[in-house]
Amino acid sequence: MMRERISSLIRIAVHVILLRPLVKLIFGVSVLGRDNFDFADKFIIISNHNSHLDILLLFSLLPLSKISITHPVAEETYFSKSKIIYFLVGFLLQPIWITRGKPEKGSDPFAGIKAQLDSGHNVIIFPEGSRGKPGEMQSFKSGIGRLVVQYPGLPIIPVYLSGPERSLPKASYLLLPLWNHIIIGPPQICTGTHKEITRQLESVLTGLSHSESARQRQRKATSESPPLSVAVLGIDGSGKSTISKHIAVRFSAESSTCLISDRLDLYENTEVKVVQPLGYEKVRKVISNYAKKAKSLKLYKIPKMTELLLRNHLYFEVRRWYNPEMIVMDGSPLLNMTAWAVLYRDRMLDEETCAKIIMLLTGREEELKPDDPIFSEFKESQYFRSLKLNNLILPDIVIFIDLYPETANTRIAKRGEDRQVHETSEKLARLREAYKMVCKVIRDRWDIPVSIIDGEESLEAVSAVAERFITEVIRRKEGKNDPTD
Amino acid sequence: MINAMFSSVSSVTLITATVCLLVVNIVRIISKKRSFLNSYLTYTLVFFICFLTAQIFSYKVGIWVLALLSFTALREYFSLINIRLQDRLGILGAYLSIPFMYYLIQIDWYGMFIISIPVYTFLAIPLLVSLGGKETQGTVFSIGAIDFGLFLCVFCIGHIGYLLSFAIWKAVFLVINVAICDVIIYYIGSRFRSKTLNCFVCWLLSLPLTIPVSWLLCYWTGIPPLHSIILGAMIPALVIIGHRSTDYVKADLGVTDDVLFPGRGQIMDNLKSFFYAAPVMFHYIRYFLT
Repeated sequence: MMRERISSLIRIAVHVILLRPLVKLIFGVSVLGRDNFDFADKFIIISNHNSHLDILLLFSLLPLSKISITHPVAEETYFSKSKIIYFLVGFLLQPIWITRGKPEKGSDPFAGIKAQLDSGHNVIIFPEGSRGKPGEMQSFKSGIGRLVVQYPGLPIIPVYLSGPERSLPKASYLLLPLWNHIIIGPPQICTGTHKEITRQLESVLTGLSHSESARQRQRKATSESPPLSVAVLGIDGSGKSTISKHIAVRFSAESSTCLISDRLDLYENTEVKVVQPLGYEKVRKVISNYAKKAKSLKLYKIPKMTELLLRNHLYFEVRRWYNPEMIVMDGSPLLNMTAWAVLYRDRMLDEETCAKIIMLLTGREEELKPDDPIFSEFKESQYFRSLKLNNLILPDIVIFIDLYPETANTRIAKRGEDRQVHETSEKLARLREAYKMVCKVIRDRWDIPVSIIDGEESLEAVSAVAERFITEVIRRKEGKNDPTD
Repeated sequence: MINAMFSSVSSVTLITATVCLLVVNIVRIISKKRSFLNSYLTYTLVFFICFLTAQIFSYKVGIWVLALLSFTALREYFSLINIRLQDRLGILGAYLSIPFMYYLIQIDWYGMFIISIPVYTFLAIPLLVSLGGKETQGTVFSIGAIDFGLFLCVFCIGHIGYLLSFAIWKAVFLVINVAICDVIIYYIGSRFRSKTLNCFVCWLLSLPLTIPVSWLLCYWTGIPPLHSIILGAMIPALVIIGHRSTDYVKADLGVTDDVLFPGRGQIMDNLKSFFYAAPVMFHYIRYFLT
């Protein structure tokens, strides 16, 4: 008993003399709503979790008498790697250790937390589970709801921290002195099922992060957001150029759009904006004409490839000079090339290889292991890299117009133009399969919204479906950034 | 004998001024009022604490109070700009250049002090940023942003420290003159619609106060009367230029005058008057009077 009291005194002394001034001096701290602690004697603190600094900041908020009787919930295996850290954390913060993973049958995962709560102590919980992406809140795990439902009437204090994700981000070991802003919300009493409680607490903390006072403390985001890129895919004859034009015109009513198709057009208020053509565009046109008139596949491939690379480069040129809010691309150089790679290898490639090709083409090799077989299989990737061509862009939205090759063939025949060398029924069928696979891969891997639209219908109908899909995606994206609206 | 008397009178004045500011600040904290003048008083108090420590011990101690002020200003600035993950090493370098530069002031090595940040830190930061990671996009803006903050918050404020090493009252002279201008700008700075007219009127209105004050202080500062009067006319102009240019920086950082917290533009707002005035006055004195 005596020993406990002494160690508690030492702990408070270390906090008051060492930790708190250090946190205040090195990282500036501004706190709003400190009086919210005054109204609760026993409480659970919930907070967003972005950095290891979070817990120190939370402890610097506590009233002195609460330092020794407040326990954060922490994962044991993470901190037990180093003995000194394990001891220091254990002594200073007195965490309730838990282990990740599925609990054994019959044992209560909350046993430790409940024991502390029952003896009148307080608990700090990060309901997101682990440190998420910097500055973003993840959805809460259900654990907080399951715990709170067993303690009706226990106040829960939501605390929103902004700044630690910059001072000590997850991706860096370098601690930098930068300001932290803390907003303490009013204590919440929750009732209902555990799912309702989790949802309610999540909305409280999100609300706190979007409140007026939080906004005043946020930095202004000065970086320009890149334009939304929409790629319209489809085999030849699917009408993708017409559809992409429809989309570009339709969305130019709200924002400036750019269409990269056989030609490059800028639209504003549904009208074409007259601009000086870019030098790259002129070159591309010549090469693209050459590809169209090619008599054999060999003569076709290289100009087509150059054309695709130039098309990709045009994206950057357009961003640089015109900076439209949306770029609609007739085909996507990256996905086209991947599909062609799939097509021209003798055997059909599996999804894993397909994803790897995309990584190579977009310059994400770091995600691959250096001894990955893909490097030896695709020797071309090295040239790509050394020529710095591996900067193909992954579109934000993909629309794939699905069409039977037979229909495509009749449509191509109707156009009355000279047939391009690769436009045979059998090739188109395989290309279609390849596109389907690529679409599946990017949707699963990179979470890119893909809409597969039946191309058998009229072009107007297809465009309408595509436009609805894009509007929906934009709305969802905006909703993610700004849930208050 | 006379010298000793003057020094004791000046010490007493400094102590009285500091104590007055302290009392006002304590009253302010208790009454929990928030306005421009209130936060301004805090920073003036910091300057006077710095001068007092310099008077009691030596300027070598006093400058470290200024170093702390530079640190808080720089920290606030970095909290406001966009930082890429790989700039972190460069920012650490920027922080480390604070003790580097103030140490050079302490050992009174002028030649090195004047090139410390403009040459050595300036060269070191791109290297540190390049060591930080592989991302190349945005490097120019990052390096520019880091350097800019460093120049304003550390190098420009550091000139006040070197001024302290000449004579404490020379620094006090600067702070008093700047304070007079700031108050005038606060009350009159937005009367007219035209910004240029505002600036001109503020400058004109400052002159009847700053010139006599400068002239009166010339016995303690050791600046000859003529130079005192010139400085008294020059400092308001520099303060106004400082305000005007920093306002644009502040606006771009998203700081608006109605929401000023520490860490949200307050420190920069209170130091902006010194960004131009301190270096120019320092070099004026160094050129003409030493």
